[in-house]
This record gives sequence, structure tokens and C-alpha cells, in this order.
Amino acid sequence: MTQWTVLYRKEMTEMMRNYKMIWIPIVFILLGVMQPVSSYYMPEILDTFGGLPDGTILEMPTPTGTEVLMNVLSNYGMLGVLILVLSAMGVVSAERQSGVAGMVMIRAVPYSSYILSKWAGLLTITLISLFIGYAAAWYYTGLLIETVAFERIFQSVVIYSIWLVFVVTLTLLFSTIMKGNGSVAFVSIFVVFAISTVTSILGKYMKWSPATMTEHTGQVLLSGELDSSFLLAFITTIAIIIFLLILSIQIFKHKELLE
Amino acid sequence: MALLKASDLVKRFGNANAVKGINFHIEEGRCVSLLGPNGAGKTTTLKMLSGLLEPTSGSIDFKGKKAKDLRPFIGYLPQYPAFYNWMSGKEFLVFAGQLAKLNRKEAEKRSEELLERVSLTNAKKRKIAGYSGGMKQRLGLAQALIHRPQLLILDEPVSALDPLGRREVLDMMREIKEETTILFSTHVLHDAEEISDDILIMHAGEIAISGSLESVMEAYRQPILQIEFESQAADWLKSIASYSFVSEVSIQGNKANIVLGDMVNGKQTLLKDIVDRKLPVRKFEISQTTLEDLFMKVVKA
Ligand SMILES: Nc1ncnc2c1ncn2[C@@H]1O[C@H](COP(=O)(O)OP(=O)(O)OP(=O)(O)O)[C@@H](O)[C@H]1O
Ligand SMILES: [Mg+2]
Repeated sequence: MTQWTVLYRKEMTEMMRNYKMIWIPIVFILLGVMQPVSSYYMPEILDTFGGLPDGTILEMPTPTGTEVLMNVLSNYGMLGVLILVLSAMGVVSAERQSGVAGMVMIRAVPYSSYILSKWAGLLTITLISLFIGYAAAWYYTGLLIETVAFERIFQSVVIYSIWLVFVVTLTLLFSTIMKGNGSVAFVSIFVVFAISTVTSILGKYMKWSPATMTEHTGQVLLSGELDSSFLLAFITTIAIIIFLLILSIQIFKHKELLE
Repeated sequence: MALLKASDLVKRFGNANAVKGINFHIEEGRCVSLLGPNGAGKTTTLKMLSGLLEPTSGSIDFKGKKAKDLRPFIGYLPQYPAFYNWMSGKEFLVFAGQLAKLNRKEAEKRSEELLERVSLTNAKKRKIAGYSGGMKQRLGLAQALIHRPQLLILDEPVSALDPLGRREVLDMMREIKEETTILFSTHVLHDAEEISDDILIMHAGEIAISGSLESVMEAYRQPILQIEFESQAADWLKSIASYSFVSEVSIQGNKANIVLGDMVNGKQTLLKDIVDRKLPVRKFEISQTTLEDLFMKVVKA
């Protein structure tokens, strides 16, 4: 077994023992299921709690299935990102702080194996949570509202996952650079937010931005067609992810690991 | 042939020189202690040897060859060992063993052996979070040995332990030194005297004294007179400094250590003095300077 495999298995075991492997997917499932359920029951909810005067006629168009799923993804984009960043913030920094990272690196482990095992662990939890949560959302949307073609679901979730992978890779970088968990989370969220905002304001010039993945996801859901700028965005995002990983490894190499 | 040889090793942090160009070697099969006060540069030196810290300049040779990465040959116990507290003791050892490229079976077997050896067999299934300081130190020792290193480097292995825990770890080190070369740092001089073959005394980033324990003791040993009084006798003790055969007097409360140039003459004269003046003497003893005296001398110089 290679050192990388040993480290990756340790990551997985750790996430099982501290229940991250359970509660993060549960949060994604809840976020996913809430949307179709609340859309379906909205008229009744308003009826019961709304306290609207008798005779008010509610014009509430029932959203389409794709609209519901787009709302699910926008929830993932806010709360989902927050949860992922908060759960990933200590991935390197906590081990540096406690000194256990030094105990690992004593064993002639390549710096890249250490960082890449961390990355693979984050990737696993992110993709599992997203896929399960989104599948649940799809199932309930089909049950309560209308069926959305599986092909579109599959394409959209794959594209969306690239954005989330970018987010956790960024968190991994900041966790390598900084020591305090709070500052790692704060800076990661801030940067993700800034990239999203700048991308939506300067859309024309930001066709390459990783944040356009969320737009491409919506596009695929709605029309089943990919925008022509997708390839550019895809290539730059993958390149940025690789660059962030290399940067993390280089920075980790130059950190002092035992106090 | 020296197992490990350090040449002109320098470590600079910013513009502070933590280690200022030290030279030493470690013979195979010896137990070497690295002594020095706080901040002398012991940890910095050990980290450079174990590959955790890049030297600013200088070189390290291992078995006569310039070393690139010594980590596979070295077992290292840091001054403040840390673990994955959610693992059990056994799990951590197997993990460390597999990282050291043992296969699962070997790692399991070796872990059991070492748990037995550091008397943690009964606690092997418990979470490390619940271990006491002494147990963690012993687990740290076990993880350093997991891959049968050729050189075991221990940074202050006993400093944080109570007398009982210290005894246990020292006994383990005594066993280990039969099969492995050991380099350990400490500021507990008594421990160094007890188990090391060679000593290196570091002070302010430099090696002040090095050699085998006997030869160093031999070279620096001086006969001293230890006198203890029932009450203070500072006046007389100060006055004796004027005798030509007295080279040094150090007074601690009712006790005094007197270094004598001429023991035979000196002790007669001083004893006679004490009797003449009816000084309330409790103890009058001739002994030798200890490692501690030597250490104090180096550090204060
Ligand atoms: N990362 C660092 N950055 C700056 N200075 C450092 C660093 N590590 C050590 N030093 C300085 O180097 C000197 C030697 O430190 P070192 O930890 O090697 O001492 P030591 O002999 O191990 O002391 P102790 O007995 O307290 O453990 C100290 O003055 C310390 O302040
Ligand atoms: Mg130290």
C-alpha cells in the first residue's frame, strides 16, 4: 500500500469517526428535499399560517421541475458551500497546529502525497454529499411536481460538482497557508463570494471564471444545451484547480511542521 | 566509521543564529546525550538531523555518504509528540508503520511487539485522547521504533515526566541502546550521566564540550571539598579565598563547595581553621566535581 493510500484511508476513517461522512450528506439531502416539498405545500402553508383575509385570491404559479432543481442548486451554492468550507477549514491547519502533521512527515512522506490525500478526502465527501443530496431532490421533485429528464440532472450535477471541487480546493490552500481555523473559513468564504460577485457583474469578461460553472449548470438544466463558452471555463477551472494544488504542496513544503 | 557526521551545521532564523556552525559525529552503537540549557539550540539541531528542518548551511553525512533524506533511517520522538487523538494507540502505531512502508501484517506484528515493550498492551485499544502524559511519551517512543531505525533521536524524552515515568522511559532507553544508536537531548544531567556513553554540551548555538562521558569527566574532574555548617559561616568562607591553595569557593546557604589546588595541604589547613574557630560544622567531605558542576561552568562562562 502506498503512503498516499494509507493517508487517504486515514482521512476516510477520520470522517467516519467524527460523523462528517454522515451529517454533511444529511444536510445536502435536507437542503435538496426541502425545496420540492416546500414548493408543493406552499399554497397550504400560506393558507394555514398566512393569515390572509378571506377572499384573497392567491396567484401562485406552481414552479416547474427544473426551477425547483435550480433553487436546490442555489441553496447548495450558499449553505452547501458554507458547510463544506467549515468542515474543510481545519484539514491541514488543525494538524499543523496540533503538531501531528510533523509526526506524519517524519516518515519520509512526499509533501504531495500528504496534500493530495487531503484533497482526495475532501473530494470524496463533497461529491458524495452533492450526488446523494441532488438525487434526493430529483426524486422528490419527480414525486411531487414533475419529472425532469435524468440526462439533464446528470449533466447539471457533474458541471456543478466542478464548482464545489474548486471551492474545497481553495479552502485546502488557505488551510495550508494559515493556522487559525476561523481565518481559513473567513478568507475562503470571502474569496468564493468575491469571485461569484465579480463574475456576475463583469460577466462579459469573466467567461473563463470557475464561478460560471453555476451558470452553465442552470443552462443545462433549462435547455439541455451547453453554452459555447463552457469549454473555456472548464479548461481554466481545471487549470486553476491544478495550480492551487501545486501551490498548496509548495507552501506546505516550506512550513515548519513541529514546534 | 561514524554513523552520522555533522559538519559546520548552521541554522539561522531571520537574523538570529540558533545553531552556529557545529561539528560532531556519532559512532555506531553509542548512546549520545545532547546537553544544554533552554534555547541552546538542541531541538533545532535534532530537527536538522532528522530532516524536518533544512540547515541554512553545512552538511550531514550518514555512513560516510552525504545524506539526502535521512528520514527512513531515523526514528524521531519530538519534544512535544502529537497524535491523532481519535485513534487508539495500536491504530496509530499501525498507521505509522504503514507510512514507514511496512505492509499491514508486518505493521500489526511490530506494533504488538512495541506495545508490549513500552507496556501499553492493556491500553492499546483505548483512544489516545484518554492517555496520560507518560503513556503518550511511551507511545511516542514506540512510533519512533516502528521501522527499526538505525538511529533513534529523542528530544527531551523524560523532561515532562514524573519520577516514576522518567524511570520507566530511562529503563526502556537502556534496553533499546543495546540494539540501536541513540541520540537524545536533555537538561536533566543526572539522566545523561546515568545512561549515555558520549556527551555533547551545547551552549548558545555552539558545542562547548564533547567526548565520551569518562574522558570528559576525567579531563574536567577536580577534587572539591564540600563543607556543611549548622548555621551560616559566610564570613569565614569569604576569608579563605585569600589562601593560595583555594581556587574557587561557591556558597549556597549553609553549604559550600571549595575547589582546591592542593588537596593534601588545603584540607589540613581548613580543618584546623574550623576547629580553632569552633565553627559549627556538620559535614566535611572530599569529593569530585560532577557533570552538573561542569555544565554550570560552561553555561555561565
Ligand atoms: N522557528 C523559529 N523561529 C525563530 N527562532 C527560533 C525558531 N525555533 C527556534 N528558535 C530560536 O532558536 C534558539 C534555539 O532554540 P531550540 O528550540 O533549538 O532550543 P533548545 O535547546 O531545544 O531549548 P529547550 O531546552 O527550551 O527546548 C532559541 O533562541 C529559539 O528562540
Ligand atoms: Mg528543545
